[in-house]
Amino acid sequence: MSRPVGPVLRMSDDVDAIVAAIVDDNPGREVTVVDRGAYTRVSGNGELRVTRESIERHLGRDFEMRQLEGLMSAFAGRIDMTSEEVRWRLKSGEPGAPA
Amino acid sequence: MARMAREKWYDIARDLDWELSYVDYEEVFPEWMSGQGKVPREAWAGWDEPYKVTYPEYVATQREKETGAYSVKAVLQKSRIFDQLDEGWKSVAKEHFGAVALVEDLAAYAELRMARFGLSPAWRNMATFGALDETRHTQISLYFPHALVGKDPQYDWAHKAYHTNQWAVIAARATFDGMMMNPNVVDVAVQLPFTFETGFTNVQFVALAADALESGDINFANMISSIQTDEARHSQQGGPTLEILVEHDPRRAQWIIDKTFWVSARLFSVLTGPGMDYYTPLPMRRQSYREFMQEWIAGQFVDQLDDYGLKKPWYWDEFMAGLDTWHHSMHLGVWYWRPTVWWKPQGGVSPEERDWLHEKYPHWEEQFGPAWDVIIGNINDDRIELTLPETLPWLCNLCHLPIGTAGSPRNEKYPVRSYPLTYNGYTYHFCSRPCRQIWWEDRDTLYDPTVIERLLGGQIRPPTVEGILTWMGLTPEVRGEDAYGYRWARPYAPRRRPGDRPGRAETETRDRGEQAAQTPGPAGQGQPVPVNAVFEDDFVTQLVVVRDTDTVDQAARKVAAQVVGRRVPLRDAGLVVRHDGQVVRGDATVAESGISALDVVNVGWAGGHR
Repeated sequence: MSRPVGPVLRMSDDVDAIVAAIVDDNPGREVTVVDRGAYTRVSGNGELRVTRESIERHLGRDFEMRQLEGLMSAFAGRIDMTSEEVRWRLKSGEPGAPA
Repeated sequence: MARMAREKWYDIARDLDWELSYVDYEEVFPEWMSGQGKVPREAWAGWDEPYKVTYPEYVATQREKETGAYSVKAVLQKSRIFDQLDEGWKSVAKEHFGAVALVEDLAAYAELRMARFGLSPAWRNMATFGALDETRHTQISLYFPHALVGKDPQYDWAHKAYHTNQWAVIAARATFDGMMMNPNVVDVAVQLPFTFETGFTNVQFVALAADALESGDINFANMISSIQTDEARHSQQGGPTLEILVEHDPRRAQWIIDKTFWVSARLFSVLTGPGMDYYTPLPMRRQSYREFMQEWIAGQFVDQLDDYGLKKPWYWDEFMAGLDTWHHSMHLGVWYWRPTVWWKPQGGVSPEERDWLHEKYPHWEEQFGPAWDVIIGNINDDRIELTLPETLPWLCNLCHLPIGTAGSPRNEKYPVRSYPLTYNGYTYHFCSRPCRQIWWEDRDTLYDPTVIERLLGGQIRPPTVEGILTWMGLTPEVRGEDAYGYRWARPYAPRRRPGDRPGRAETETRDRGEQAAQTPGPAGQGQPVPVNAVFEDDFVTQLVVVRDTDTVDQAARKVAAQVVGRRVPLRDAGLVVRHDGQVVRGDATVAESGISALDVVNVGWAGGHR
């Protein structure tokens, strides 16, 4: 993976559900998960996204996107955050951007 | 009640600004505080934070974080978990609390400066949240250790450290003042949120949490990783500021990052490196310091630099090489000068730990093994006094860390040496070329004398080791000692062959007691000449006070007395002194040979290297 981006999640009961939601929301993209105990690094090449809908489906309860902040100690890449979706990306990884 | 989605109203709310009519723009946003520089005023209107949060969201999320952190603490306080923590690990936490708690407070002021002088309302809005974050971090970083003060007075340094002149605190204060308080807010945004908070703090607050959890310190792991969730948000003030700066003044952007990255890397070599590679119990280490730095800095942070169109700093190769050496030198120094710190350094060089070090750092044995062998021999021969300092390392005028620790012994590319610079008739000493270069560029905004300069300037009285410790605020009950009472060194005792015994300096009897840091003696003994002395194969350069009437041979023995039999084994050979690159005659006096105060003096064995 040459341009890894994505969240670093701190230890909590919800980590597995968030990771599953990320995998669901990025079909066709390789997602790498590295578990270091106190933190779990989730990476995709160039871009990753996750939606509130998928998180709720995997958690089995309501979830507000702001709550992701309490679970995410860091992230690689740039972040875009709306009420429904979070994206991590590199600008230079966008289609049409210089390699 | 259905709420309007945040993105429908957020931009208007947080970009609310007004045209100034009663006062000039320059009065409200003076250049020296706001730091607009070459960026046109209208460019700041495009400042757009990527990590958006509203006040109601902020309050709700912070409440959840606080509830999580404090409830874990409340439960664990009733358990015996703390009493079972390893003494080495506890020192990681103690060092963290002392070095970090009040820096969080300083960061609140840095955020408030951006909240007032930031050049766009969106930025000022983010910075206001940042200031609230940093206030939380200060409170939690003081409250958690406070509960432990009754068990161990070293935890008191969580609050005390920055009220003292302890050497690491002086180094950290210089670094953080330069990052948060001295610069204008554009520079602050690139230095603090961008370079420091998206780069280095991740190593201390996220990576270190992995070691903390393994070591059983759930409370600490939970606290620091909770803090970092705030940082992940408010550090996003850096990106938009940098993006605008790169467009209009890329040279300035690159320079600010380069210098901040360097001083941060130097500081982390003492703040984080020894804790990860020596204090954390061996079975609990998730990765080495180098591996964590590779993951978070050489990988993640560098990708980010590239994404903003910036280059790796000019000294990149030197930084990467330093990941193999700097923190090993710092650990050796902190351990040797352990009474000067508020934690208990774990020697961390037992046979098993040494195997791990050798595996992770293939040159460790060659570069640092010999010094530890001398120390181990002294421990096992009950000569503890030879494992304790009688003078101080010479300190860098930029990073304030010991000179030599940006290199390592037996390292041709980055040797143990000073990089001096004489400016306006005064000689400054630096640990590395980058520190010297940064100092040169920023010299008009830097005035923090090193401990060595304060000592030589007469501020520390009496100028003895005891006087220095007292001046640094280190009361006897908190002075550091070996975390394990030297038990890590015991396994070497039966294995050692007689020939392995490290010897004493032949001159020791004569010169010990004549402490290097002492004041001028009675008249008639000549004038004191404090020099920055390095002995061949040692890891650090040191203050040694010779006299102008000493012969060069006598001066050489004074230097050797601080090193030989302490960190360098005795050899059956004479000593050779080099000054200004030339060998100096041993029977000449210091005055005749042109050695003056603050000069670099190299001492080595006659007959060449090894």
